[in-house]
Amino acid sequence: DGHAQKWDMPLAYSGSNFHSVTAAEFGKCVTTGTGGAIEITTHPSGSLFPGAQIKRAIQTGQVNIGERLLSGHQNENALFGFDSVPFLATSFDDADKLWQAAKAPLTELLQSQNLVLLYSVPWPPQGLYFRDEVNSVADMKGVKFRSYNNATSRLAELTGMLPVTIEAAEISQAFATGVADSMVSSGATGYDRKVWESLNYFYEVDAWLPRNYIMVNGDAWNGLDDSQKAVMRGCAELAEYAGTWRSKEYTGFTLAGLAAGGMTVAKASDTLKGELQEIGATMTAEWLEAAGAGGQAIVDAFKAE
Amino acid sequence: MENASIIILFLFVLFTLLGTGVWVGLALMGVAWVGMELFTTRPVGDVMLTTIWSASSSWTLTALPMFIWMGEILYRTRLSEDMFRGLSPWMAPLPGGLVHTNIVGCTVFAAVSGSSAATLTTVGKMSIPELRKRNYPENMVIGTLAGAATLGLMIPPSLTLIVYGVTINESISKLFFAGILPGLILAAMFMAYVAIMSRVSTRWNPDAEPPLTFAQKVANSRFLLPVICLILLVIGSMYLGFATATEAAAFGVIGSLVLAASQGSLNWTTFTESLMGATRTSAMIALILAGAAFLSLSMGFTGLPRGLADLIAQWDLTRFELLIVLLVFYIILGCFLDGISSVVLTMAVVEPMIREAGIDLIWFGIFIVVVVEMAQITPPIGFNLFVLQGMTDHEMSYIAKAAIPMFLIMVLMVFVLIWFPEIATWLPENIRQR
Amino acid sequence: MTQIRRALDALYLAAGVMAALCLIAILGLIVLQMLARWTGEVFPGAPEYASYAMAAASFLAFANALNKGSHIRVSIVLNALSPGARRWLDAFCFAVGAAVMWYFVYYGYRFVYWSWKFKDVSQGQDRTLLWQPQSLMLAGAVILAIALTDNLVSLLFRGQNRIRRDTVDDAPSH
Ligand code: NA
Ligand code: NA
Repeated sequence: DGHAQKWDMPLAYSGSNFHSVTAAEFGKCVTTGTGGAIEITTHPSGSLFPGAQIKRAIQTGQVNIGERLLSGHQNENALFGFDSVPFLATSFDDADKLWQAAKAPLTELLQSQNLVLLYSVPWPPQGLYFRDEVNSVADMKGVKFRSYNNATSRLAELTGMLPVTIEAAEISQAFATGVADSMVSSGATGYDRKVWESLNYFYEVDAWLPRNYIMVNGDAWNGLDDSQKAVMRGCAELAEYAGTWRSKEYTGFTLAGLAAGGMTVAKASDTLKGELQEIGATMTAEWLEAAGAGGQAIVDAFKAE
Repeated sequence: MENASIIILFLFVLFTLLGTGVWVGLALMGVAWVGMELFTTRPVGDVMLTTIWSASSSWTLTALPMFIWMGEILYRTRLSEDMFRGLSPWMAPLPGGLVHTNIVGCTVFAAVSGSSAATLTTVGKMSIPELRKRNYPENMVIGTLAGAATLGLMIPPSLTLIVYGVTINESISKLFFAGILPGLILAAMFMAYVAIMSRVSTRWNPDAEPPLTFAQKVANSRFLLPVICLILLVIGSMYLGFATATEAAAFGVIGSLVLAASQGSLNWTTFTESLMGATRTSAMIALILAGAAFLSLSMGFTGLPRGLADLIAQWDLTRFELLIVLLVFYIILGCFLDGISSVVLTMAVVEPMIREAGIDLIWFGIFIVVVVEMAQITPPIGFNLFVLQGMTDHEMSYIAKAAIPMFLIMVLMVFVLIWFPEIATWLPENIRQR
Repeated sequence: MTQIRRALDALYLAAGVMAALCLIAILGLIVLQMLARWTGEVFPGAPEYASYAMAAASFLAFANALNKGSHIRVSIVLNALSPGARRWLDAFCFAVGAAVMWYFVYYGYRFVYWSWKFKDVSQGQDRTLLWQPQSLMLAGAVILAIALTDNLVSLLFRGQNRIRRDTVDDAPSH
């Protein structure tokens, strides 16, 4: 029909986060591009649905569009975790290559779940945070490491650290009181949570670059006319480009912020890097076991480039 | 004008359902349902289930039944009598007498728990019967408890400050430090009010405590030892890194079970009674939380809170005017939503306003907490009012009326914060971080 | 008739006891998780299990809490009315409550059915199939819906609801 449609777009992260800013601009772009026929309202900070519920909410038409970190859904299908295999793609360029290799199979997988993939923006690369200096895997032994999923638990196991489960809401307090001494996360998380109040070292190991994905409900998508779909695709392309650029900018900004907060921000030593690459190879193999032929195809395509 | 019709409809349905006596949680679900059916095209039933499942199956929520259980166990031990025996010699000479135990108890327990419902049930379970026994004016007993329990949100650890900190990316430990002084000042203001009322009120005729020599007072203080140990156990487990804030509640339960056993008041009957009591009280709160979560989602879909915040953003206000308008805005919102929801639903619009006005965000966090505290005791939807109704069998209107002075003191507290911002900002700026 | 009555009362009580066991389970899970951390062990999924127990503890206790008068309602108007009028207003409340809960149950069934059909799995380390803990929520909702209907029927045919407070310790002050 000719009426303006209101699309609510749940976002898990706070309004000032660069993903949310990108999504808000995408929304404006669509509203403008469709002459107001589709009006997208973003709801940051999980104020509509918390992150964990967003995918299902889109799938079942509770909202038409939303953003989700798909690697959170690895239990459902290992393929969703392609962007979070440790030490597989360790730079923005590599992450982009990996994304190009995964785009087609992922789009297909989402399609089978009544989801249309619009665009995806990487988080800054994941580094290792420690209270004390670490130069090799041997130094990590016995350190209490914040784990939040199977991959981070496994990483702890392979490096001899003690995985401790800490929910996101309790991160800052857990470090302040010594419940945990270490975590793997992007510079952005550390900057946002001001972890320099408790932790002293950040190693840029660029372990992986997880991605956020913007998805549309399949039925809502089919309800659009061709010109509206074209506008969405156009705005999505723009948003992916702008978001990726912001992510790169933000990486430098947050690392400088960590240093200004008093943390030692350093590249990992060559010893450490080499040891972590080995662990990465082990974990890639384990992921491939879970992800099967689909995963193998992605890794092959990525390595072929 | 769509907003005006949404507001009128929400209010009409809300007051009809609550006023006729539909259980609060179910009434909130009904209001939320009406709002969504009329103002969105979303599948309401599915949205309701997603939201309520996600709000009910929450890890951070588990601390609540644990603290409630702890209160139920302590209530069945000699601990509450002992606490009063230890405290009364010191509190009795103060103007206002033992009513101060309500405030002191809440302040201390606030350092143990992050929620105001847990603070309220634990302290209230122990103090209400003791204060009634001594013929203190009922409205003072109820009012001070409703007000002081909200300190649970300001004095660290605090769930509200964690949610605020995560929403705007501010340091949670700084926010925690920022809450300490204002929390103590607010407690002192409550105590001052009690002292004044005890002198002015004609209905203030509590039974006199037996006079004691100083040596007897000190000797009686030994009765405080078990409580102090329990509190040290819970706080210590948190600050020494044995437990997270959520897990510390488990220490509270085990500690109070041990305490009850050592006093000989733990048997099968008291154990099952305390457990079933805790089960029902937390179910009561959980039903309201489920309804509130759905209502807050429904409000999010209608865009009402954000629309109002947008409207404020368009006015050209000075810093002081902005704060006053926000104070009024959040008080009104707080009447109908729980405080944390109203913060999360509006922060996307309010945060830039605050930054633009050059207001310190740590300071604003404390401002927000006071406002959220007010929401706990304002009708028709005020959490502490509900919990106290469950505990005392008083009508909500009676409890709300008893809490009005506390509400006004909190409004005064906001102005104190505006006039002396240092009470919130000094400590976080001067504590040396590790 | 008396058999149905006894079965219903047993149902409410059993659900309440289950809920209490869930509280004990939460305590146990938290303690185990702390013990695991202190000894360098892992207990994958402990927070998730605790959160399922939290949902189950709440929903399974709803009916028991209703019949014991634990759920909060505003009763100023109810108390101001004559007994006859009060009965009708009370019936209205139970009717609204029952309608809300049966609505919840209808969509709750769909919710759990789709979780089962999609093989929806937890995003945590527990990898629980979500229809399992969600069914406990649904069961609690069904029992509360039954309890509300039971009260409504009782009001209409016997003139009384079934809410009985047995709190001797906190004696009402009015
Ligand atoms: Na607190
Ligand atoms: Na309120």
